[in-house]
Amino acid sequence: MSVELATRLIDILGALLLFTMLLILAAGQMYRAIYAVATQAVFLGVAGAVLGAATGNVDLWTIAAITIVVKAGLLPWLLIRVVRRVGISREIEPVIPTTITLAMAAAIVVLAFWLNASLGAVRQAITGNALPVGVALTLIGVLVMATRRKALVQMVGLFASENGIFFTAMAVSQGMPLIIEIGVILDVVLGALVMGILVLRVRSSVDDTDIADLENLKG
Amino acid sequence: MRIAQIALQTLLVLLLGPLVTGFIQKLKARLQCRAGASLWQPYRDLAKLLRKGTVQSDTASPFFRAVPVLVLAAIATAATLVPVLWAPAGSAHPRLGDAILLLALFALARFLLAIGALDAGGAFGGMGASREMTVGLLVEPALMMAVFSVGVAGGTTDLVDLAARRGAVEALAWQAPDLLAFFAVLILTIAETGRIPVDNPDTHLELTMLHEGMLLEHSGPGLACIALATHTKQLVILALVAALFFPLGLSPDAAPGHVALALAAFGAKVLALAVFLAVVESSYAKLRFFRVPQFLGLGLVCAFLALALRVL
Repeated sequence: MSVELATRLIDILGALLLFTMLLILAAGQMYRAIYAVATQAVFLGVAGAVLGAATGNVDLWTIAAITIVVKAGLLPWLLIRVVRRVGISREIEPVIPTTITLAMAAAIVVLAFWLNASLGAVRQAITGNALPVGVALTLIGVLVMATRRKALVQMVGLFASENGIFFTAMAVSQGMPLIIEIGVILDVVLGALVMGILVLRVRSSVDDTDIADLENLKG
Repeated sequence: MRIAQIALQTLLVLLLGPLVTGFIQKLKARLQCRAGASLWQPYRDLAKLLRKGTVQSDTASPFFRAVPVLVLAAIATAATLVPVLWAPAGSAHPRLGDAILLLALFALARFLLAIGALDAGGAFGGMGASREMTVGLLVEPALMMAVFSVGVAGGTTDLVDLAARRGAVEALAWQAPDLLAFFAVLILTIAETGRIPVDNPDTHLELTMLHEGMLLEHSGPGLACIALATHTKQLVILALVAALFFPLGLSPDAAPGHVALALAAFGAKVLALAVFLAVVESSYAKLRFFRVPQFLGLGLVCAFLALALRVL
C-alpha cells in the first residue's frame, strides 16, 4: 500500500472516529452510546490494519485484530450485560445540556487542529491528521466522563478516550511493541471489569448509579 | 442551448417530485407490511386539489392568496440552480446563480409559508410557523457550512461548476471533511424534507407537526401549489446532495448517450437517498420538539467541523 493512500485512508478513518465520538456525545440512550463506542473500536481496528499494511509491521495486524475482538466485541457486550443487570433507566442524563456539550466538542476539535498546525516539524513524522484527531478524541472522551451522571456512560467515555490515545500512539510511533499494546488492552479490560463490579455494588447498596448521589456521603 | 437544458431539467424535477414522495410512502408502507397507496397517489392528490374551490379565512389579507404561488415560484427557481443531467465544464454556460442563491430561495419559501400561516390567523398556523422557523434557524446555517466546505475544496460555490470539476478530477476523491459534511447533510436532509424524526409528513392534526401545521388554512389549487412545492423541494435537496457528494455520470454535452447515462445515474442516486429517508422514517420515532435541537446540533457540529477541517 502506498504511503499516499494510507494517509488518505487514515484521514478518512479519523473523520469516522470523530463522527462516532459526536454520536456518543449526542446519544440520548445508553445503548446508542455503547453501539457508537463499539463502532468506533471497529474503525480503530481498521486504522491499525491500514497502518500495518502501509508500514509492513506485522504486530499492527495482531493489534488490529485484538482491538476489534476486545473493544468492539467483549467490552460492549460487558457494558450491555451490566446495563441489563442493573436495570436502570436507559436515558442518559447529562449534567449540562447536550447541545452545549456538542459545541464544546467542536471547540475542542478546532483547538486540537489549531495547536497541531503550530507543531511544524513534528507533524511531518505523523500520518495525516492522526495527531490532532487523536488528541481531540482523548479530550472529548474526558468531556463525556465529566458531563454525564451515570457511571456506565462515564465508562463509555473512558473507552472512547482510550481509543483516542490508542489511535495517537499507533499513528505517531507506527506501531508500539506488541507486548505494550497487549498490556494496555489488558488494563482496559481489567478496568472495565472492576468498574462493572463497582457499578453493580453501588447499585445494590444505594439503589442507583448516579455518581452525583455519592456527594451526599461526604462528612 | 444551455437555457433549454436548464428548462428541461427543471421541468423534469417538477414532474418527478411527486413520484419520489410516492415512492417513499410506498416503501414505508411495505416496510410496515401494508400494501400502501399507489406510486401515483401524489399526482392524483394534486389533480384532485386543482379541481376544488378555495375556502379562505375571513381574517386573511389578500396577500394570503399569493403565498402558494410565490412559494412554488421560489422553489421552482431553486430547481433551476442544481445540476440534474447536465454539468458542462468551463465558464461558457450562462450563470443563473449559485448555492448561496439556492439556499436563500429555500429560506424565502420558508419565510413566505410562515408569513402566510400567521396571516390566516389560525392557532395551529402560528404554532407551526414558529416551530418551522426554529428548525430553520438550526438547519440553514448548517446546510450553508456543509455546502461551503465542499465549495472550498472545489474553489467555487457555483453548483454546476463544482459538480463538473469534482466529477472530472477524481470520481470519489473524498477527504475527511467531505465525509463529515456528508453526514451533516444526511441529518439536515431529514429536517429539510420534513420527515421523522424531526417532522411527521403524514399527519395534519397533531400538536407535534411543523410543516403541515402551516398548510392547514390553505385549500384547493393553493394547497396544490404548496404540495407541489414541497415535493419539488424534496427532490431539489436530494439533487443537491447528489451534486455535492456524488457528481458522477453528469453529462458534459448534449450527446444522447451521455444524457441517457446521466438520467440513469440521477435515478440511481435519488433512489438511494429516497430509500435512506424511508428506512430512517420507518425505524425511528418522532422526536419530542425540545429534543430536535439536540438531533440537529449533531448535524450543525458535523457541518462546522467539516468547514473547520477544510480551512485549518
